[in-house]
Amino acid sequence: MEPDAQLIQFCLRGDGPAWEELVRRHTRRVYNLCYRFTANAAAAEDLSQEVFLRVYKTLGSYQPTYGAFPTWLTSVARNLLVDHYRRTRRDRLTDSLDDAMPKLEEVHSHARTPDKLAQAAELSEQLQRGLAKLSPELREAVILRDLQGLDYSEIRTVLQVPEGTVKSRINRGRIELARVLEEMGVRPA
Amino acid sequence: MDWHCTTTEERLSDFLDGALSPEDAAAFSAHTAGCAACTRVVAQVGALVSRMQQVPPAEEPVHLVGKILDATLGPRTPKQGWQQWFGWVPAIWQPRFAMGLATVAASLAILVHAAAPQGRNMSLADFNPATLARTANRQLHLTYAHGAKFVSDLRVVYEIQSRLGAQPELMGEPVREPQPKQPSPEPRDRSEANPNPHPRHREATDGSMLAFAVANRWSESLPNNFTRSRP
Repeated sequence: MEPDAQLIQFCLRGDGPAWEELVRRHTRRVYNLCYRFTANAAAAEDLSQEVFLRVYKTLGSYQPTYGAFPTWLTSVARNLLVDHYRRTRRDRLTDSLDDAMPKLEEVHSHARTPDKLAQAAELSEQLQRGLAKLSPELREAVILRDLQGLDYSEIRTVLQVPEGTVKSRINRGRIELARVLEEMGVRPA
Repeated sequence: MDWHCTTTEERLSDFLDGALSPEDAAAFSAHTAGCAACTRVVAQVGALVSRMQQVPPAEEPVHLVGKILDATLGPRTPKQGWQQWFGWVPAIWQPRFAMGLATVAASLAILVHAAAPQGRNMSLADFNPATLARTANRQLHLTYAHGAKFVSDLRVVYEIQSRLGAQPELMGEPVREPQPKQPSPEPRDRSEANPNPHPRHREATDGSMLAFAVANRWSESLPNNFTRSRP
């Protein structure tokens, strides 16, 4: 498998298959970041498209000195997520009551899956609902660290804040999420 | 250094990441050992972090990559040859589709096995539509008959079990009857030799009692005028 840096060089020369490979390699990472942050599959899909469109147009500005390509990609995605968050603030205020209600189709779909899949899906769903109750700063810090697996320095690069702030947000986010899940009656153990 | 509950919360992620100095780790452990609230928070957050890191990534929609490529590279040229017809094949290997397909295949295999002619000596005549229909009909009736027999057997077993459960005194009486004195040193009552505290278990081990219960249950189900004549 060719490294990202080499694929990017091919892409900048107009190599379509290289771009296709780059997209296939990183779509899941971008989609998951968007999905965990927005808690909405349709919005995550639109945002993922938007991210890759932005990357396609600005790929020439990527410098290896910035960090690994996934870190840069995450930064682009995160900036678009911030824009999306601001854009949809009013919608969220009106939708907050709907979010509090259990979704019937989700319960139904989980009932039809085998046990282990259902448990994983249930945990993922509970986590999603808990994350949605965190402030965006704490939420993104927890997602980047515990769901996307970035280290502290990568998160510092993405969020453009000092490492001490990163650590503090991750710590507070985890404690707050555990408290929210407990209030929801979820036992993570 | 003074270690408080707030210090524990502030340094919790460092503790979970193993990033505390030995002195701080010792102070952390000493505090949590004596503080129930902090012990609880540490356990909860530790379990949460562990579970989050095991959550598998969500699968992106199958058409997402195609939509991204269309939006960036423009609509791609239609696929040629076999790709035009079999382009959907990779999509079905997603776990949910693959499991569904496996279930359908297993169901079809069972149906075909039930309907197909049995035996190794098959001839061309066996594939005659009339023969196939007759065989399928026969298999269907056989399957139904086996099912009906199974259900009927289950019903009898259930009747026996419920009878044993409903009338323990009926089954217990013969065991409790005084036995004639035996010269052997063995205990008179079987319950003494086998001190099983559950009377139903003791009764169920006696085959003659079981037969008696069945006969009793069946005699109850007979019409009143159908009685045994006295000798």
